[in-house]
Amino acid sequence: MRLWGPAVLVILTGAVRAEVLLSEEEIQQTLSFGPWPPSFQSDPSNRISNDARAIALGAALFTDPVLSVDGAFSCASCHDPKQAFTTSDTRALGRVLLDRNTPSLRNLSGLRWYGWGGKSDSLWAASLHPIIEEQEMAHNKESLKSALSESSFIDDFEAIFGGIQSQDPELVLVNTAKTLSAYLETLVTERTQFDDFRDALERRDLTEAAHYPETAQRGLQLFLGRGNCVFCHNSPGFSNNEFHDAGVPYFLNETEVDEGRFGGLNFLLSSAYTLGGDWSDDPDKRGAWAVRSVRRSHSDFGTFRTPSLRGVAETAPYMHNGSLNDLDAVIRHYSEIDTERLHTDGEAILSELNLSEQEIADLVAFLETLSNVTRP
Amino acid sequence: MLKYLIPFTISVFGNALIAEERPIFDAHIHYSHDAVDLVPPEQVAKILRDAGVRKALVSSSDDNGTQLLLAAAPDIVVPALRPYRRRGEINTWMHDETVIDYLEANLSKNEYKAIGEFHAYGDDIKTPVIQRMIALAKERNLILHHHGDREAVDLIFETWPEARVLWAHSGFDDPASVVDALDTYPRLWADLAFRSDMVSRGRVDPDWKAAFEAHPDRFMVGTDTFAPERWYYVGPHADFSREWLDLLPDQIADNIAFANAERLLASE
Repeated sequence: MRLWGPAVLVILTGAVRAEVLLSEEEIQQTLSFGPWPPSFQSDPSNRISNDARAIALGAALFTDPVLSVDGAFSCASCHDPKQAFTTSDTRALGRVLLDRNTPSLRNLSGLRWYGWGGKSDSLWAASLHPIIEEQEMAHNKESLKSALSESSFIDDFEAIFGGIQSQDPELVLVNTAKTLSAYLETLVTERTQFDDFRDALERRDLTEAAHYPETAQRGLQLFLGRGNCVFCHNSPGFSNNEFHDAGVPYFLNETEVDEGRFGGLNFLLSSAYTLGGDWSDDPDKRGAWAVRSVRRSHSDFGTFRTPSLRGVAETAPYMHNGSLNDLDAVIRHYSEIDTERLHTDGEAILSELNLSEQEIADLVAFLETLSNVTRP
Repeated sequence: MLKYLIPFTISVFGNALIAEERPIFDAHIHYSHDAVDLVPPEQVAKILRDAGVRKALVSSSDDNGTQLLLAAAPDIVVPALRPYRRRGEINTWMHDETVIDYLEANLSKNEYKAIGEFHAYGDDIKTPVIQRMIALAKERNLILHHHGDREAVDLIFETWPEARVLWAHSGFDDPASVVDALDTYPRLWADLAFRSDMVSRGRVDPDWKAAFEAHPDRFMVGTDTFAPERWYYVGPHADFSREWLDLLPDQIADNIAFANAERLLASE
């Protein structure tokens, strides 16, 4: 690829001055965050992935309380479509106060792991567990089959899967989860100001790229450079989808902790609903290599999956337990991180950044350009 | 914690009951200032007992945590003196002469079996602070629990050839290099804290197995409670240890689980 030389363009229009601040190396790194949106890849483990009827039924089921045993909740109760498929609660409120912050449900297609602790390796499995989790929807297989049979959705369900009465209750559960998954696959964050900047850089259109705010560019430089946020928040989804100790305490109360990936992995390894299991519709079991080869490690304990940063300004509060109220608090957390909490041979990437107020503002400005909303 | 491990244990090893009976000497435990604030000594003692840990080599930053836990569980705690007043001193302590005052003050009023875990790499060992610390250990014949590289191990034994050194995390070195160090120094032991490469999905790594067979009397397990929440990993870690140790011959498994650490303590 041709190098640009000093990649700084200054546009002078009267008193307005704008420029691309990034070095050639930074530009190349920036290109790795796109293009966006990614092309859709059907899920081979879900035979109704990208099926229009399944997508429509999944969308309807998502907002209907039929998926909770007593009609008390729908998926949308915690994953509110009007709030970027999360809520502003610190921790999710199911039948009890749950352990973690509700993750947004956008850009989930094709990930290797799902959930803060990675207890699922497919979107349909991640959709299945809340239906039968006692503290969430609290169905069992039989009650779900009964509820669907008596619901207004039965015709659409049977149009896709055939007669429900001939289906084993576990099959009904898996089919329901795959229907939800078909819908969730369609939830993708929109293009943003950052994507316009990134694509302009790819086109070598520095005039257009220079419209990207300088404060966001400086934030991006910190993100790529001294902050090294890109180490974990990389690729078009701004996440490596692996598990890390970000220095956030994980006590649940005085005598319990959130085990994070440790608990998620133990759950995964004993689950029937994995890409390597019988419920995958893919005869080639593509993607099953991960669950078949993943190893338990002492460092799993108290680590959590790196969240995507796309749409991040819309999903406060932050971290696995929602303990940080806004993006400013997140940046300050990493700026002042308590490295004493981290193992000396563990997350060596993290260190106190000691950012200035301007640098904090720049990083927040950059993160806000990954969404289509800004702070009031 | 055990609820997650039991299905996996049964499915892979099929002998969970026997495995759970093996006692553990946890040779790498910290109870530092922030843990003292968040997990009271009585709770820590309960965690150790529930996990089947019959002895634990405990150190803390500052030493207050070790003394509190010793009082709460005197039958379990084997006290070690760490040269840190806060954990944040890990990278700077060897250049801080006040550390000597701190060590001397505590050594004069408390009984210890070891000094450590201390972090030191290469020429760090030559600093006056560490040289004095080694001298203090020598005066009292205390074990040195050292976190660092092979070069530092060499320099410790150069300073004090008769030292008994417990190499934390086996230096995070590869099994062959650990074996080489153990071959070189008969009074070197190695803990396996915070490393999981000995076993993968029901199979002991062949290189590690060879290391355990070459030196069945020198390895031991440890949790490394480096953050307060890690206290709740003591139980799962003990279960994890029993699972993979059960894949080894009983004698070697017992040695690594508890006997090697006990013999190290009993040695002169």
